[in-house]
Amino acid sequence: MRQSLSLVLLLALIISAGAVLFRPGSSYVHQDRDALFAQASPVHPAGTDGMGRDRLVRVSAALLLSLAGATIASALSTAAAAAVGILSASSPGVIGSLTLLVCDAFLALPWMFLLMMVRSAIPLTTSPLASAVITFLVLAALGWPACARAVYRGTRQLRHSDWMLYAAASGLKSNQIVRALAPNLLPLLLPQFLVSLPAFIIAEANLGALGLGIAEPLPSWGGMLAELGNSATLLETRWVYLPVALLVLVLLLLEAITAEAQR
Amino acid sequence: MNLQKQPFLFVFVAVFALWPSVGQGQNAPRLPGELAWTIAYDPKTFDPAKVDDEASERVRYLTAGVLLRFNRATQRVEPSLAESSALSEDGKVLTIRLHSGLRFSDGSALTAKDAAWSIRRVLLPETKAAVAEEFLDAANVTVQTPDDRTIIVHLPKRVIGIEKIFDEIAIEPAERSSEARVTSGPFFLSDYRRSQYVRLKRNPYYRDTGKGLPRATGVRLDILENYEQIVRLLVRSDYDLIDNLPPDYFEMLKRKAPATVRDIGPSLNTEQMWFNQSPTSPISDWEKAWFRNRAFRVAISQAIHRDDLARIAYLGHATPAFSFISPANTTWFNRNLRLPARGLEQAKASLHEGGFYLEGSTLKDAQGHPVRFSILTNAGNEARGKMATLIQQDLAALGIQVTVVTLDFPALIERLMHTQDYEACLLGLANVDPDPNTMMNLWLSSSPEHQWNPSEKSPATPWEAEIDRAMTTQASSMKMAERVAAVDRVQQIVAEQQPFIYLVYPNALVAISPYLQGAQPAALVPRVSWNVEQLSVRGLR
Repeated sequence: MRQSLSLVLLLALIISAGAVLFRPGSSYVHQDRDALFAQASPVHPAGTDGMGRDRLVRVSAALLLSLAGATIASALSTAAAAAVGILSASSPGVIGSLTLLVCDAFLALPWMFLLMMVRSAIPLTTSPLASAVITFLVLAALGWPACARAVYRGTRQLRHSDWMLYAAASGLKSNQIVRALAPNLLPLLLPQFLVSLPAFIIAEANLGALGLGIAEPLPSWGGMLAELGNSATLLETRWVYLPVALLVLVLLLLEAITAEAQR
Repeated sequence: MNLQKQPFLFVFVAVFALWPSVGQGQNAPRLPGELAWTIAYDPKTFDPAKVDDEASERVRYLTAGVLLRFNRATQRVEPSLAESSALSEDGKVLTIRLHSGLRFSDGSALTAKDAAWSIRRVLLPETKAAVAEEFLDAANVTVQTPDDRTIIVHLPKRVIGIEKIFDEIAIEPAERSSEARVTSGPFFLSDYRRSQYVRLKRNPYYRDTGKGLPRATGVRLDILENYEQIVRLLVRSDYDLIDNLPPDYFEMLKRKAPATVRDIGPSLNTEQMWFNQSPTSPISDWEKAWFRNRAFRVAISQAIHRDDLARIAYLGHATPAFSFISPANTTWFNRNLRLPARGLEQAKASLHEGGFYLEGSTLKDAQGHPVRFSILTNAGNEARGKMATLIQQDLAALGIQVTVVTLDFPALIERLMHTQDYEACLLGLANVDPDPNTMMNLWLSSSPEHQWNPSEKSPATPWEAEIDRAMTTQASSMKMAERVAAVDRVQQIVAEQQPFIYLVYPNALVAISPYLQGAQPAALVPRVSWNVEQLSVRGLR
């Protein structure tokens, strides 16, 4: 019941954000230079930011962009983790150990510096949307190793289960065993996928808060959260808290959905 | 007593143990008559000859006795420890006469020998004094002391603004440099706690002691970078001044204590953008052609709403800029600058003149390439990020698609100085010296810091050659009027050619406690504390 409520709330948020973003005349780019830090009004229901841009539209766009990016990144990293985990668990000992060593090496990487390096290496004329896609892809590329370890452990357990031993003894080929294995890993992969979602959202927000995330004029959580670092801005309008409030709500809903899925 | 069995008491003790640091946010109580403000970080050195960072420079300014002082308000060089100074006609011999009866803070006599030793020390290569470079040929400078009060400096070649260089040379006791413990300035160093504070005490033998100077008994410089705390402590009168306030904190303080803040107007600093015109850069040939096209650069400049940049990115605390010389620089600012007319229509006309045309909502060059480029700036600078985003929208009105890219500083410098892999860049230049001679490296076409096209073997364009000639004239002329005319000409060429598109001069924003007496804030740093001898606190607590 709680899962369905969380899911419904999250879906309602997504639909509302979509409605705000795609309603006629709404723009997350348009600067109303005569309405800086404007208070809430029928034209700007959550006021405007320091550059006169509609705060509600920008928050909605950030929400959708961040969720979409994190979903894609999470799906990719879970798929990569599944492939690596199954490969290492199904391979001879040395290859499996080497694969896991690569996982550990990835886990030890200073990912923030790596992201900064990738950011500086992206061609400068890359459009903001393309740079957002690249950011999430890099996050996915860095996010799979922890999940791969979990998949490896799950696969190992399955490989040593009675039905698997029976299948091997019955003469099933390796590819047939893997095909039989994959659906049984779903209960493990789904929570891994769900757990990664908030992690990627936060990682992107972190980068954005440092000014190294999604490029302007595309809105991002990080860019909007950076406003909170300055108490002078906090005095301007209370709507400045809207992005962080929504971000926390989204993270809590994702956490509730994940917790229920794990049960 | 067992604290573990007394949790309430433990919390009580812990809270009160932390109280001084959490509650007050400062590191030492104020002594009677002492001034207090902040520096952002620990000074790297107290040796006045080795200063090369801002915090050390602040301490040197407060402690160093100098022969000649550059007055930040009048922007003129005035005698300080010197009674008089005279420069020979060829500009190669500077004769300085000391006041009589000068003493160091420990009471010992200050003579020409101390002054000569201090000058020679900064000229020695092993001292690695930053100021030595300003003598152009430091190794061949000689210093003579015909008597106890006269110093004669012989220069191998003429140095523009030689007198002003002496503003940076502290006169120390000969053969016993004390790292600001014994000084001839208004204060001397009495205590330093790393990451906490620098405490200075009044020099009882200061040359103007008879006039009651310095008025304060000392200065405490807390080492603090956080503007939230600094502003809060100024409101509580724990601090007497803030020399440099960001615009948002200026506005915040204006709400809390309107009487404390002052916008002095444009500073000497500039914010500008420029296009990469280097022929060796890895950008496409058609982009290079756009950036070398004068009409294109002028159109970009015409389309940018500088008033909006000042109003939005700096909350109104910046002044639209059209030249590398700020109006605060009263001697060198060209008031008769002829600027290209500004506005969207004028920009469109310039683009048309430059061979560009609009197809739908996209601007294209004569070969049909859509005009799009990126503006690079450093991450973490809110005002620059905002300016770049505003410019993005301004140029969208011309059909130009701009991408704003913020990079961490090392990555940005790598692109600017080494790979030259960028299209346009938006950065600022902090000027501490009003004399344009200090900007030679920026304007000479052969300089590696000639940003739009560094290290040209010969000037790439006739106008760059003319800038070279004018800057050389201002650096070699003996006549001030000739120098001013040369710099005026450079300003005019820059306004016409727009190699740098100047955007704004950030205003000098300061805060002054109502208890502080004698403050006369100036646009030049240190803005409030430049006349520290005159400053005192009255009626405080």
